[in-house]
Amino acid sequence: MLDALVDVIPLAIVAATPLLLAVQGELVVQRSGIINLGIEGMMLVAAMTAVLAAQTTKSVLLGFAGGIGGALLIALLFGVFVIALKTDQIVTGTAINFLAIGATSFVYRELQQGAIFVQAVPRPRVDYVLPLAWIAFPIILALFLWNTSLGLRLRASGENPEAVAPVARYRAIALMIEALLAGIGGAYLALVLSSGFAENMTAGRGFIALAIVIFGRWKLKGALLGTAIFGLAAALQYALQASARGVPYHLLLAFPYLVTLLILCGVAGKVRAPESLGR
Amino acid sequence: MPALRGVLAALAAILLLALSGAAFGHSPRELLSILFSGSVGSAFAFQNTLLKSVPLLLTGLSVVLAFRAGVWNIGGEGQFIVGALAALLASRYGAVAALLAAMLAGAAWSSLASLMRLWRNAPEVLTTILLNFIAIHLLGWCVNGPLREQAAMYPQTDLAAASLPRYAGVVIAVVAGVVAWWLLYRTKEGLRLRATGFNSSAAEWAGVNVRAQLARAMAISGAAAGLAGGIELLGVTHRLFERFASGYGYSGIAVALLAQLHPLATLASSFFFGALVTGAGELQRTANISSAVAVFGQAVVILVLLGFEHARRAR
Repeated sequence: MLDALVDVIPLAIVAATPLLLAVQGELVVQRSGIINLGIEGMMLVAAMTAVLAAQTTKSVLLGFAGGIGGALLIALLFGVFVIALKTDQIVTGTAINFLAIGATSFVYRELQQGAIFVQAVPRPRVDYVLPLAWIAFPIILALFLWNTSLGLRLRASGENPEAVAPVARYRAIALMIEALLAGIGGAYLALVLSSGFAENMTAGRGFIALAIVIFGRWKLKGALLGTAIFGLAAALQYALQASARGVPYHLLLAFPYLVTLLILCGVAGKVRAPESLGR
Repeated sequence: MPALRGVLAALAAILLLALSGAAFGHSPRELLSILFSGSVGSAFAFQNTLLKSVPLLLTGLSVVLAFRAGVWNIGGEGQFIVGALAALLASRYGAVAALLAAMLAGAAWSSLASLMRLWRNAPEVLTTILLNFIAIHLLGWCVNGPLREQAAMYPQTDLAAASLPRYAGVVIAVVAGVVAWWLLYRTKEGLRLRATGFNSSAAEWAGVNVRAQLARAMAISGAAAGLAGGIELLGVTHRLFERFASGYGYSGIAVALLAQLHPLATLASSFFFGALVTGAGELQRTANISSAVAVFGQAVVILVLLGFEHARRAR
């Protein structure tokens, strides 16, 4: 059992990479005072646009660019509503998720006859995203958030919006950073983890990311730790699947969500969110 | 004019659907005509729409009751599923017992989220969503494992031991709508519940036990979604399979928001979305357009209403 667990750890790290990217994106945006429940839809759209871009250009790099582009489109829509129109963030995020599910499923069926989702998707030869997601981005984001004046203002927008002049600008910047990360995450999901797009393929990763941000107390160290714990739990699930020791497959599928619930309950009681989060 | 805003949002959704179809080479006129004829154009289509409106009305009421109390119950999908599971297990004691079991199971499932909220301060907006995923896989396990049909041909359960007349659900759902209205607007409890949602600290000052209100609203909300699952099982599908819920729980959010969180307006909004879902199903069958366009339409409705809401505040 333990051997099986060790064997699947590399797989678990790879599998948790889109989640980690989403966690970091959501951390930044929540630090600026926005809860983006629509990150789930953002990643889903990114996964689709990444595949479309990769297929039409036959380039993995442009595929990732396509993913980022798709995520930015969703960020723009979400931002217009919650930043410019100051609409309710939870309701808007939910609508964004509906929009993403509806639109991607619609486009998927429309283009299936063109076989764009069926033929082999270009895959990267070397996985550059993995070290970026686990090492470079956390360091860059930590430096940015805690050692630059822009980062300070971004965090101030989430704590005390009255203290910074154009809150909208800092929140828009945060949203763009999130779209960048979630876009890469969605593209990674489609181009590296899977071989193409499938309907609802994000499978709740965006929501799990929100839970991990809370678990990590809105800090990057905590985000990495939370994602690692979640990844290990997922690895345990793979190991159990591989050893096929009588745990029914469908119950194993529920396991990650159960772990996320436990993660949320384990720490949520003691944490303090950014003061103006959600307002 | 809430009603006008609702109608405009609904029209915007249909218009955008037609435009999206046109962008992919479908004739907007044909698309609209299928959507119309497939949902309300014939007696058969109308009956289908009516049957689809029933679970939507109940999950819509579920969301109205929760959101009115300021509780983010996004867990209708999961509560719908466990409600149906409980109804199946209790169906041998008759339809009434099965529906009661469905409500209890839905309430218990949603109350898991209020427990986590009240004890551990875990935000219910996340826990209810996570519980949806767990319920979906729980159902997957049941229909593939312990509750799989005797013949073991398909991953589905045997027929429920009890059933409801096909249109009994319509009556139950409409009654539930009136009861929800009465509860919210004609009882002290309803006033406390709305006060909690309107301004929880003010309600607390006025002597309302806010925590109890949250827990109560969540339980009632879960019961309504569970009842929806029970009725769908006993009146329409008669057995369970993996895709049993097919979004009814999530759609309740759009139903409630289109009704601007008013229980009686939910009667109309659930019929609209029932028609949209039924028409979208017809689009998939006859024109090979994904039935998920109904979800797209829900998103447009919500976004347009949010825009109106902003304009109203700005004035």
